Amino acid sequence: MRISPQTSEIVLNALQVSDQAEQTALTQLTTGRRVNVASDDPSAAALEVSIAYQMDSCDQYQRSISSVTSELQTADSSLNTVVTGLQQAISLGVEGANGTLSQQDRNTLAQEVSGISQQVLSVANLSYNGNYVFAGTATSQPPYVVNDGVPGGIAYQGNDGVNSVEIEAGQSVAVNQPGSQLFSAPGASVFVALNDLTTALQDPSSTTQDIGDATTEIRTAYDQLTSARAFYGSTVDQLVASADFLNSESVQLAQQQNSTVGVDMNVAATNLSNAEAARNATVQAAASMSSVSLMDYISTIDAAG
Amino acid sequence: MSGLFGTLSIALGALQAQQAGMQTTTNNLANLNTPGYSREVPILEEAAPIVQGNVTFGGGVELEGIQSLRDNLLDLQISDETQQQGNSQAYVNAMNQVQTLFPDDTTGIGAQISAFFQSLNSLSTDPSDLTLRQSVLTAANGMASAFNSTANQITAVSNQLDSSVQQQVQQVNQISQQIAAINVQLAAVSSTGQDYGSFLDQRGALIQQLSGIIDVSQIIDGTSLTLTTKQGAALVVDGQAYALSTATDASGAQHIYSSQGNDITGQISGGALGGLLQVLGQTLPSLQGQLDSLAGGMVQALNTANQEGTDLNGNPGGNLFDPITGAGAAASMTVAITDPALIAAGSDGTPGSNGNLANLSAVANAAVSNGMTPSGAYGNLVFQVGTSISNGTTDLNASNAMLQQLQQQDSSVSGVSLDEEASNLLLYQRAYQAAAQAITTVNQMLETVIDMGASGSS
Repeated sequence: MRISPQTSEIVLNALQVSDQAEQTALTQLTTGRRVNVASDDPSAAALEVSIAYQMDSCDQYQRSISSVTSELQTADSSLNTVVTGLQQAISLGVEGANGTLSQQDRNTLAQEVSGISQQVLSVANLSYNGNYVFAGTATSQPPYVVNDGVPGGIAYQGNDGVNSVEIEAGQSVAVNQPGSQLFSAPGASVFVALNDLTTALQDPSSTTQDIGDATTEIRTAYDQLTSARAFYGSTVDQLVASADFLNSESVQLAQQQNSTVGVDMNVAATNLSNAEAARNATVQAAASMSSVSLMDYISTIDAAG
Repeated sequence: MSGLFGTLSIALGALQAQQAGMQTTTNNLANLNTPGYSREVPILEEAAPIVQGNVTFGGGVELEGIQSLRDNLLDLQISDETQQQGNSQAYVNAMNQVQTLFPDDTTGIGAQISAFFQSLNSLSTDPSDLTLRQSVLTAANGMASAFNSTANQITAVSNQLDSSVQQQVQQVNQISQQIAAINVQLAAVSSTGQDYGSFLDQRGALIQQLSGIIDVSQIIDGTSLTLTTKQGAALVVDGQAYALSTATDASGAQHIYSSQGNDITGQISGGALGGLLQVLGQTLPSLQGQLDSLAGGMVQALNTANQEGTDLNGNPGGNLFDPITGAGAAASMTVAITDPALIAAGSDGTPGSNGNLANLSAVANAAVSNGMTPSGAYGNLVFQVGTSISNGTTDLNASNAMLQQLQQQDSSVSGVSLDEEASNLLLYQRAYQAAAQAITTVNQMLETVIDMGASGSS
C-alpha cells in the first residue's frame, strides 16, 4: 500500500491533542478543580450545586444558632435574678409569718417584697436588640404594665406566641418563652403572689396563716417560673449540640465537594508532565521527519552520474 | 514504414512522452501544498506495432493522456464525515457560550437561590429587624436579576446564532455558485476530450467546504453533478445554482427556505448549519422553557406563602414578586415590593412573629418546577448543559479522528510525494536523455548513408 506522503496533518493533530491535555492539566492545577465547567463532568457539577446549597445552609444555620443562643442566654441570666428575688421573698414571707413581729417590722418586710416585685417587673420587660423577649411575639411593646384594675396590679399585654427557627435541615426549635408562662401563668402569677404577700404583710388584721398562704402562693409561682425557665437551658443545650453537628457537617460537605469537583494535584501534575513529554516527542519526530527527501540527493546523483 | 526514418520517429515520440511525464511531475510538485489537489500521472501506451513480412517491430510510445488519481468513494465518505464534524463543532461552540451562564459554584442563579433562602432563615431569628428584612429584599432582587440576566443572555446568544445562520446560508449560496461555474467549464473542457482533472479537484474541494456547512447529497454521472441537501432541496444542478434564503418569523427565529420557497429549517441535520439549528431549535428553547418554569414556579410558590402571613404592620401579606408564569417568566421576574416591612414573616399579625417564614422557607424544599426543588431544578439545568456539551465533544472527537483517518487514506491515493516525484524526475530525465541519444545515433547513421551515396556518385 502506498503510504500517505502528507505528514503535516498527523503532526498537527498530535500537537493539538497534547496541547489540549497540557491545557487541561494546567487549568486543573491552577484552579485546584477537576470540574471547571459543567461539561467536564455534568453529574459532578449538578451534585456540586446541591453541595453548595447545603454548605450555605450549614453556614446560615450556624449564624442563626449563634444569634439565638446569645438572646436565650441573656434571657436566662436575667431570669436568674428573678429566681433569687423570689427565694428572698419566700424567706421574707416565712419571717413575716413569725407571730412575734411588730406591724412596723411587717411593713419593712412588705417594702422589701414590693421592691422585689419592681425588680421582677424590670426583668419581665427585658428587651434584647429592641425586642421585648418575654412578650410572646408582641415584641414591640413592654409586655408588663402597671394597671390597678387587674389582680396583682400588673397587666400582661404580650401574647402566647412562640417563634421557631430552623437550625438544621428540617429541624426547628422554639426560641422564646412567653411571659404568660413565666411571670403571669394562671394560678401561678409572680406579680399576683408578690402583691398578695405585700398586702398580707401590710394588713394589720392578717393572721400568720394569711401571710403563710401568701408565701405558699409565691412558692407556687416560683415553681412555675423555674420549670418554665428550664426551657432556656435545654434549648441552649440543643443549640450547642446542633452547632457541633453542623461543624462536622461542614467539614464533611467540604470533603464531599473536594472529592466531587476537586483535583488530585499529583495526578494533574503527572498529566502535565506527560503532556509536555508527548509534545516534545512529537516536535522532535516532526523535525527529523520533514528534513530529508530524495530531492536533496538529485544533484548528488547527477554529479556522480 | 520502417528503416532509419521510422526509428527516428519512434525516438521523437519517446522525447514527447518523456517531456509529458516531466511536465506532469513538475505540475505535481507545483501543487504539493494545494488543498484538494489529486496527483497526476501520464498514461503511456505502446504505439501500434509495424509488421514487415514475418517481422513485427514495436511502434514506440504514445501519450494517451494525463490521469488524476482519486478515490470517489473516499471523497463521499469524507464529505459525510465533514458534515458530522461541522455539526458537532458548531453545536459545541454555541453551547460553550451558554455553559458559562450556568455556573455550578458561587455565582449565578444557584448561588442566588441559596442566598435568598439563607436570608429567610436569618430573618427568622429576629423577624422585626428592618436590616434583616432589607437583606431578604436584597437577596430576592439578586435572585430575580440572576434569572433576568441568564434569560437575556440566552436570548442574546440565540440572536447571535441567528445571524450566524444567515451568514452560513450566504456562504452555501456562494459556494453553490462557484460549483455551478466549475460545472460549466468542466462540461466545455470534457466535450473537447481534454484532461479535466484539475476542475474535478477544485470542485471536490468546494464540495468538502460545503459539507462543513450543510448536509449535502451528491449524484455524479460522468462530469455531470447534482448537489442537494440530504432531504432533497436542490443546491446545484450542473451549471445552475439554486440559492437558499433566510427569513425571520414572528417570534424572531430564523427560517431557511429552499429556492422553491419550502421551509427546510427542520430538515437540515448536518454541517455547521445543522449544529446551529439544533441549538436554536431544540437546546436553547428547552433550557429557556425550564428556566421559565423554575422562575414561574418559585414566584407562584413564594407569593402564595407570603399571602399566608402577616407583614410588619399586621396586614395580610401580598405578592412578593410580580405574578408571572410561562414563557418569559425568567426574563421578567421582578420583586413586587420595595418596603421591607411588607415581607409577611408573621403568622399572627404581631411584628415579632416569624411563623410564616417557615412557609416561605418551605419553598426551598417544594416541587416548584417539573417535580424538582428550586436548587434541584437549577442543578438539573447545569447537568443538561454540561451533558449536551460533553456529548457534543465526544461526537466531535470521534468525527475528527474518523476524518483524519479518511484524509490519510485519501492522501495515500491522491497526495503528492516528494520522494516519488524526485524519482520520476530522474526517470523521465534519463529516458529523455536516452531518446535524444538515439536520435543523435540515427542521425549519424543517416549521415553515413548519405555520405555513402555521395561517394558512390562521385
